[in-house]
Amino acid sequence: MGNARFDLIVVGAGLSGLMTASVAADAGLSVCVVHSGLGLFVFGAGCVERVPLTDAEADDEPAALTAFREFTRSAGCPFLTGDDPEAGFYLPTILGSFQHLHLAPYSLHAGIAATGCRVAVVGIRGLTSFDARFVADRLGGQSFGLGAPGIYVAREIDLGLPFGTVPTPLLLANRFDRDAGFRDLLGAALRLAADKVDRLLIPGILGQISTHADIVSFEAGLGCRVGELPTFPPSIPGLRLYQALAANLRDRGVEFLGGFPVTELLLRGGVCEGVVVETPARPKRVSADAVVLASGQFSSSLLGFNRNGVDAEARPLRSAGGPVAVNLYAVGALLAALDGGCGGNARAVVSGYRTAMRVVAATGGKERRHAMR
Amino acid sequence: MRCDDVGLDNCLKCSDCNTVCPVMTAYSAYPGPKHLGPELERLRREGLSCDSDWLEYCLGCDRCSLACPNQVPVSAMIARAKTRHVKPAIRRWRDFLLARPAVLGAVFSVAPALSNAMLGFRPVRRVMAAIAKITDRRSFPPYAAPFRLRKAASSGHSDKPRVLFFPGCSISFNQPGLGQTVLAVLDQAGFDVSVAGAGCCGIPAMGNGDLAQALRCARANVKNLAFAAELGIPVITACTSCGHMLKSGFGEVLAEDADMAAAARHVAAASYDLGEFLLEHWAGEEAAHAPGPPQRLAYHAPCHQLSQGTGRPWFHLLRRLPGVDIVDLNAGCCGMAGTFGFKDEKYPVAMSIGSRLFDAIACRQPEAVVSECPTCRLQIEHGAAIQAIHPVEILRRVMT
Repeated sequence: MGNARFDLIVVGAGLSGLMTASVAADAGLSVCVVHSGLGLFVFGAGCVERVPLTDAEADDEPAALTAFREFTRSAGCPFLTGDDPEAGFYLPTILGSFQHLHLAPYSLHAGIAATGCRVAVVGIRGLTSFDARFVADRLGGQSFGLGAPGIYVAREIDLGLPFGTVPTPLLLANRFDRDAGFRDLLGAALRLAADKVDRLLIPGILGQISTHADIVSFEAGLGCRVGELPTFPPSIPGLRLYQALAANLRDRGVEFLGGFPVTELLLRGGVCEGVVVETPARPKRVSADAVVLASGQFSSSLLGFNRNGVDAEARPLRSAGGPVAVNLYAVGALLAALDGGCGGNARAVVSGYRTAMRVVAATGGKERRHAMR
Repeated sequence: MRCDDVGLDNCLKCSDCNTVCPVMTAYSAYPGPKHLGPELERLRREGLSCDSDWLEYCLGCDRCSLACPNQVPVSAMIARAKTRHVKPAIRRWRDFLLARPAVLGAVFSVAPALSNAMLGFRPVRRVMAAIAKITDRRSFPPYAAPFRLRKAASSGHSDKPRVLFFPGCSISFNQPGLGQTVLAVLDQAGFDVSVAGAGCCGIPAMGNGDLAQALRCARANVKNLAFAAELGIPVITACTSCGHMLKSGFGEVLAEDADMAAAARHVAAASYDLGEFLLEHWAGEEAAHAPGPPQRLAYHAPCHQLSQGTGRPWFHLLRRLPGVDIVDLNAGCCGMAGTFGFKDEKYPVAMSIGSRLFDAIACRQPEAVVSECPTCRLQIEHGAAIQAIHPVEILRRVMT
């Protein structure tokens, strides 16, 4: 048996890493995701922007986004486009600005900018880091600038949050997950706040482990669509997406080794044989036929690369030229840091898809692995 | 390894630790690991005591440290603060007892039938609850004649590779039969197994902030196990909390003493969880072909199994067994946290934390739940009203 062996190791459990793992697992590869921490899911909600990609990436974008939508849908966190998928749509942020997006999760989608929409931005008395009046004032003006003028009013509900503690969105999200009485209280207060408006915008508090069905049924009880606004970290919609995607991957047989950093890449003769993980007592060697680094923009120096860029296959290059290893790839924000391109979730999804497909083609999938034993 | 001295500066205040804290998910008033750890640590290093009763609510599960993207030793900071925490007399004396399961075990296993009758007698429990704040809302695990087997059935001349089994208090005093099962499985897997003359690993002392007792346990065990480390003999535990102490805890507790800390690191390098060891060192051919009755099981990963960074060895071992239909519940912490769930004032929090797991079990409706941690098994049996067994028992059934 020996130490663990997989077809593919993905280092990092952010959006690009999980996307890579999903596409590879779909093709029958055995995958291990090694990660330390929760990645940038704690910022935002995984929304996919409209960004300029390289020509090669743009070619693969439709297939990548289809795969992403299928992944998130089957994980129980479906992503939606706007009415015109090509045009994109605008979603509000808690800073009162609008983001131009291609895809967003269902729980944010109701916030979509639409001409003539009457929206109540609902603050919760005592909740830190969310100022409904500030958000509503700014969104009103910004929506005019977009050519989708809407009416944004600020309202406040009182959930009787205890005096003397500092309630955060995380605290409320945990209550939402665990406490049916709290959900009822929140629902009743939001129903009142929905008077004479088409939409509610609330801080993202609808649970860390809530399912799509939970959110839909909560919304149904309000009689009004509700859009979450992701707050400062930890963003609850982002966390919810992470939980859903990770659970889905686990159910599909992807192994997760979380909590410990990768300290070494096992490089021999131009091939990456695996990674060394700094686990307690003994470092753990995990071997694989291919390794994808999805470890984020701050990891390029830690992994000992000078910024020599990447080749056409998204493989990090040595200063002397040629890839560091023929089977070592970079995706997501790390790729952006190495090739100077844009980062963001669109790049994470597309680069994850492209690299996973490359790895599948290179390793030949399940049949070859069994033949080697 | 996680750098203690610079660990505090690594904190980004990102709150990732807070998102995974089981106590925070269930108890809104709890300030959380970010506050009790790095936030207060900055003030503690300035000499302010910052003592808080909230420290008693930390489960020591280590999930905060695992979630930290920057390797801040959050859990260790809180554990250290716990050792300086001052408690009122009743909780102090109660926790003094709970920190010494080996002593309690030695006493109660002298006449186990009598002890169990007494510990199960409602009026006695009511008195314990009233005077010592040990909850009467749950039962104690029954005590048994202790697990005393020093040498396994093999002779000293065996050329099978040697391993040393570290039984821990739960197997020693509550489930000696489980200890026998472990020996039988290791023997049948081709190893010459002997039993360490070890005491308590010290994790209950750590959990109750009793540094003196934790140091005693750590020193005794490191000295006792040093020979195995030197000879390259694997030290194997079947309890994930003992495993956590062997692999990380002794080093943390003994950090001030450079020599002992180095010895602790050697012992750690020789330490294995039973599932981890079998997955790495045993071909398991026999089990793959042995016939087995169909079994619908659910696996619960203890927090101290996740903190060892071994993956899910038992889940993978059992999955391969013919007839075994097993699912990974992946439903968070059970809430028991060793001695935590026995404390009267902590009991509601423990049950609230575990409610997510109990619901997941009710959804899945397995015949039994398997888990490597003895107190997880207690909590699951209590909260989900279902049989909970150590995964090695499943393996044993197909190995005969």
